[in-house]
Amino acid sequence: MVQALNSTLDHIMSGDNSVILLGEDIGKDGGVFRVTEGLQAKYGEERVIDTPLVELGIVGMSVGMSLMGVKAIPEIQFQDFIYTAFDQIINQMAKMRYRSGGGFTLPMVLRTPYGGGIKGGLYHSQSGEAYFAHTAGLVVVTPSNPYDAKGLLISSVESPDPVIFLEPKRLYRAAKIEVPDEDYRVKIGEAARPMEGDDLTIITYGAMVPTVLNTVKKNNLNADVLDLRTLLPMDVNAIISSAKKTGRVVIVHEAPRTLGMGAEISALISERAIEYLYAPILRVTGPDIPFPYRLEDYYMPGETRIMKAVKRVMEFR
Amino acid sequence: MVNEQNEKDVFVRAYTAMVLSRTFDKKIVMAQRQGRIGFYTPSIGQEATQVGLSMALDHDDVIFQYYRDVALMIHRGVPIEVILDQIMGNAEDESKGRQMPSHYTAKKYNFMSVQSPVATNLPLAVGAAYALRYQKKNTVVVATFGDGSTSTPDFHAAMNLAAVFNLPVIFLCENNGWAISLPTEKQTKVEISEKAAAYGMKGIKVDGNNFIETYKATMEAVERARSGKGPTLIDAISFRMGAHSTSDDPSKYRSQTVEEGSEKDPITVAEEQLKSLGYLNDSLIAKIKEESTKMVNDKFDIQEKIPAPVPSTMFDDVYAEKNWIIKEEEDDIL
Ligand SMILES: Cc1ncc(C[n+]2csc(CCOP(=O)(O)OP(=O)(O)O)c2C)c(N)n1
Ligand SMILES: [Mg+2]
Repeated sequence: MVQALNSTLDHIMSGDNSVILLGEDIGKDGGVFRVTEGLQAKYGEERVIDTPLVELGIVGMSVGMSLMGVKAIPEIQFQDFIYTAFDQIINQMAKMRYRSGGGFTLPMVLRTPYGGGIKGGLYHSQSGEAYFAHTAGLVVVTPSNPYDAKGLLISSVESPDPVIFLEPKRLYRAAKIEVPDEDYRVKIGEAARPMEGDDLTIITYGAMVPTVLNTVKKNNLNADVLDLRTLLPMDVNAIISSAKKTGRVVIVHEAPRTLGMGAEISALISERAIEYLYAPILRVTGPDIPFPYRLEDYYMPGETRIMKAVKRVMEFR
Repeated sequence: MVNEQNEKDVFVRAYTAMVLSRTFDKKIVMAQRQGRIGFYTPSIGQEATQVGLSMALDHDDVIFQYYRDVALMIHRGVPIEVILDQIMGNAEDESKGRQMPSHYTAKKYNFMSVQSPVATNLPLAVGAAYALRYQKKNTVVVATFGDGSTSTPDFHAAMNLAAVFNLPVIFLCENNGWAISLPTEKQTKVEISEKAAAYGMKGIKVDGNNFIETYKATMEAVERARSGKGPTLIDAISFRMGAHSTSDDPSKYRSQTVEEGSEKDPITVAEEQLKSLGYLNDSLIAKIKEESTKMVNDKFDIQEKIPAPVPSTMFDDVYAEKNWIIKEEEDDIL
């Protein structure tokens, strides 16, 4: 995924002079995960900016740049360090269009790696997507493979609204798949259905997608798997039509359960398709505790827990 | 406090702590390469700064340290085992294996608990200083942080608050010249010590490669704090001789290095100082180094045998008592 993101940023920058990247260690160093490798050498220090260590400033400056017609693509080195910039995100970035009566718009894309499974402990593992998805005015996306990473990034840069682009860092170096050279878009607001089936629906996104797919294959489940890709606004049609088709739904995410994305998905289904359900909607999620270092394998949802939930919905009478 | 009677002992003890820290760093970096450790942020190059600071403090003084303060911990008497347990995240670790390596907690030694988001410890130090003054304790609070951390809103907030409330805080910037790939001159347009003036506090720039100079500067700040004269910002200049962390490759962004044993190495500086004072000679130096190596190797092998914390511990300490949510999730997962 790192490779796909890097070449897509390169491609976007070469085609659009108004794009500027900024963040900590993104220039000379190429980013701590190497997503911006080589871009400063190619486009210069004015377009690929190594900023001082100040997340609030990085996001605030990006908002200001975007107001003037420069498309800023800031990087926050780890999502865990975004919180000093929260005021800028919630009160500036998300509200600019609304509070100016549609007069000022922000076509900016804030990229940041998130999620665990890399032995990062409390502060290099967080999955804070729900904080952003709770904020009107933002678009929130997260790819689960290099192909979608490219298509979603292009769509995000073209989006007229500010996008939080969450990169599941556990998949940065995951199995490579071919990414076409030419331009293509993955539409914002559209889920993918990497597997089709009739017995149950498993809804997931980000780093949990490969975990779910492997579980489905290994256990020969006849499951409809939805990879949301966009968390705000979610693909309600895909969710509801699949729930109606199978009548059994399991939601899987790594973020903690309480008020996570699963809560919203579950509410949408119970409001719109409850008469189709044969079983309660179950969530398999990270627990409501800070992310531990040494015991992280117990934190991450995996096959055992997913299958436990699958059995429960399949056997429910 | 150093005086004529104890100077030799105090200085030799300082040097020994520096050597032990250096030996420890090299061991851990090597162990990480061998896959025996997950991650580490070495202190190499900052030993004199940290030991000079520690020499000026009392046991009751409170330290909001950051992730690179191994020499500081060693000099203050934190056992190597405590540091190793944290890095290994084993069952005996004070934070129960929850934190990434280099994020120490050592409550008994008045070391608070290290977080990753840089400089967020600074406002805490200010609050702690307020509380201790309110409790009529003549205690000093120290916060350590890097040069990069001075760009954060937390740094600004803490400096301003400490000055406004005239609190007994010492902000000790371990200025190692780099914040991952960004050199200090790209981080800030002014000398870090000069920032103090803008807040109305004393700023001191000191050679952080020289433990005696750092000790003296810190002592001045400690005396100011204890006599109610308010906070101090110390800019202790050293050089990050190693990588930012075991995940970092500095060859991508800097050509400048300081070789171990060169005249810019703080340990070499200390050796020259102590030799000319007549407190050390080559054979004593060799002996101290040998003993450090043996001690670090032995303790590493012993601590390495300690198992991981039992899985149920990860659900403890979120609250004083587990709520129903956590109980339910624990039952489901274990
Ligand atoms: C708020 C925040 N942003 C980003 C990071 C990632 N990061 C870890 S250390 C570091 C550089 C810190 O440099 P400095 O303050 O000079 O301390 P040093 O590591 O050089 O001792 C960065 C950017 C972080 N830990 N916290
Ligand atoms: Mg530094």
